[in-house]
Amino acid sequence: MEIEREIEELHAASFGWAMSCCGRNRQDAEEVLQDVYVKIFEGKARFDGRSTLKTWLFSVIRRTAASQTRQRMLHDVLTAKWARRELDPVSPTSDAAAQHAQTSEALIAALQQLARRQREVLELVFYHDMTVEEAAAAMGVSLGSARVHYDRGKKQLLARLNGKLSL
Amino acid sequence: MNLQQAFDALRQQETASAPRFDRMWRARAPRSLTPRLAFAAMLLITVAVLVFQPQKPQPSITAWKAPTDFLLQTPGRELLTSVPDLKGSRQ
Repeated sequence: MEIEREIEELHAASFGWAMSCCGRNRQDAEEVLQDVYVKIFEGKARFDGRSTLKTWLFSVIRRTAASQTRQRMLHDVLTAKWARRELDPVSPTSDAAAQHAQTSEALIAALQQLARRQREVLELVFYHDMTVEEAAAAMGVSLGSARVHYDRGKKQLLARLNGKLSL
Repeated sequence: MNLQQAFDALRQQETASAPRFDRMWRARAPRSLTPRLAFAAMLLITVAVLVFQPQKPQPSITAWKAPTDFLLQTPGRELLTSVPDLKGSRQ
């Protein structure tokens, strides 16, 4: 199956995007990605060729993650679970890896302080090498709106990371 | 390290630990089939119970008793069901 092969090629990037959409909770990200694959397999999500496969796949992941987050919040409210969800710990294996892990932690912490749309557009551009136009399509917002989120988000991110990264 | 390099480091770290694609892609079938299989099994059990339940024997019409029979058991009912013995009462 052609689409299966293409989705497999995008799997690692899709997982990264799912991590981003799930607040870097690995278990949630895996669940979301699995649900997305089920939707595609059962034909509930169909690629119509109006955008690139990656843009379409990322928008499906984003919608699925948002839906699951809503369900989870409702469940937490109903079962009165207010405990904070823990992020997966980073386990570096060498000095270089440890430095990367520190940088990543600082970046994740700074990203989580941004507004959701700002965070999404920055991750799509910097992490997933998308253009702002492609990011707008994946986020389901206009190009103008995506540009505003990109500019404001980047300024805020740099301000928050100032001193933590040698920029 | 600039912003792009920081994002690259994060991407490397996260994508390296991504779960295997075939595990996630293959895992879809049982997951979507489970509710259907459970429903089919439940339906089968219900049909089996209905078909194979022991039949109660039909009661005979002569053994039938009206459920409101007790209402006829009034006090002094025996006076109405027997003929009074007038001769005996005279002596």
